Amino acid sequence: MKKKQIKKNFLILLSIIILIIELFPIAIIIINGFKKDIDIWSANPFSFRPSLDSYKKIFQRKDILLGIKNSLIVSTLSTTISLLVGAMASYAIARFRFRYRKVLSYSFLISRMIPQISLAIPLFMMFRSLGLTDTLTALIFAHMSFNIPYVIWVLLPFFSGVPIEYEEAALVDGCDKRKIFWKIFLPLVGPGLVVAGVFTFMMSWNEFLYALVLTSTQAKTAPVVINGFMGQYAPQWGQLAAAGTLMLIPIFIITLTFQKYLIEGLSGGIKG
Amino acid sequence: MVIKRKGTGEKSPVLYFILPALILVGVVLIYPILYAVGISFFNWPLVDETSRGFIGISNYIRIFQDKEFWHALLLQLGFIFIAIPLELIIGFFVAILLNREFKGVKWIRSLLLLPVFVLPVLSGLTWRLMLQPEYGAISFILTKLGLPQTAWLAKPGSAYAFVIIQDIWRMWPFMFMFLYSGLINIPTSLLEAADLDGARFWNKTLKIIVPLLRPTITTALLLRLIDALRIFSEVFVMTEGGPGNATTLLSLYIYKQAFRYFNIGYASAMGVILIIISLIIAILLVRRNIDID
Repeated sequence: MKKKQIKKNFLILLSIIILIIELFPIAIIIINGFKKDIDIWSANPFSFRPSLDSYKKIFQRKDILLGIKNSLIVSTLSTTISLLVGAMASYAIARFRFRYRKVLSYSFLISRMIPQISLAIPLFMMFRSLGLTDTLTALIFAHMSFNIPYVIWVLLPFFSGVPIEYEEAALVDGCDKRKIFWKIFLPLVGPGLVVAGVFTFMMSWNEFLYALVLTSTQAKTAPVVINGFMGQYAPQWGQLAAAGTLMLIPIFIITLTFQKYLIEGLSGGIKG
Repeated sequence: MVIKRKGTGEKSPVLYFILPALILVGVVLIYPILYAVGISFFNWPLVDETSRGFIGISNYIRIFQDKEFWHALLLQLGFIFIAIPLELIIGFFVAILLNREFKGVKWIRSLLLLPVFVLPVLSGLTWRLMLQPEYGAISFILTKLGLPQTAWLAKPGSAYAFVIIQDIWRMWPFMFMFLYSGLINIPTSLLEAADLDGARFWNKTLKIIVPLLRPTITTALLLRLIDALRIFSEVFVMTEGGPGNATTLLSLYIYKQAFRYFNIGYASAMGVILIIISLIIAILLVRRNIDID
């Protein structure tokens, strides 16, 4: 009996050690946000004199505030549009039988797996010829390339899960399919919309490569601005960490609120 | 796609629902892919676009003769074959470890997932900070362990190693999450005896758990493979592909060719090759796992 207890405690201790190692880099970000640059450059990384210096500095900087604003706009708009058109398409795939249905849905799924760098080049050329480089419009559209297919697939099981009787009843009442979708279906798959929306938002929020290629000054998103803190001469670690911590807040809220859906969210319709 | 219904003359609403997504995806995905294939047959220097011209498959031939491309491909393969198996092994054992109830285990399970969702840029920059020779936390610990003070990211070997370590740190919880979700579907009676004691544990693990989890493992591996193949942001901010080209993985090399040397045509040709490789893996994944009916 005693041996069992010892083993159990050992396993708990092991779990805690693994967690500490795993969270260590995240703790480094958060702690360094509350340090002065000069303290970060001083020898011991584990000494800590708390200061709000770096936070004061970033709130006086136009670039990071603009970056966070841009990130918010791009993530929100791209998510909204993708949810709308994605939900419509997902409903059609789940509820109608039509030619090319399978080919179409698989193409949507596979398209999410296309390497970003391969798309970044033609997108850059396209937006350049349209005069849309360094605009939020370009970024919002670029993000749809991974967001729309994602939404379609995350929503499929939700739409398929709605009992057919709902539709039949509505059809008897003389509603047409369009009305049924907007009035009945969308509210029914509300939870699915929330999951899809949250993850779409997060993918846009974290996105770096398109922002790097398609923006230069006005439309920079926060990740690009933060990377710029590395600077030419001395990296401004304190401000970088403070801005990074701000960017992490929505991530923390989402991952801890939506624990149940993380797997679905990450695999985007692909089940093990 | 439009089917007339008998008698009513009403068009089927399929198009109404599909078309918006189709148009947008066509504009931001299908057209760009075709465009990329198109420019891959051109010599297209961005610095002097008047000199651009059709050169057939010369760019593709050039890829095969490009030592730097092969170097990038080799680094990419090394990255994939070191990082992913380790992520799988760690994820697997932690899934078994945490498939038990004790106070706070739920918190541990969900907090472990945070690194997966941390912004790739922030992850790369944090590792860069931790590896600074004079004041980085990891350098500090390694020095305390008796290693000489080293600029870890300035040496080709250790820079490459830490790029891989960074990915393992970020992504083994992804494997853990996937495998754990498979594990909780296995009846406890089968797992009961598979506790952590020596020979019996290994026997059980290999004979019962691994075969039962095989489909889950394969799916997780393919998903990771597709992601690892296109990794860019974390590495770009951590090392910028350096020192030299020691961490210039495929996406970074394509980026350099396109946006540093402005060889849009050549970079596109490499981009197309990368699309083809990804699609092959993606089709494998989809054929295994998905049936929408």
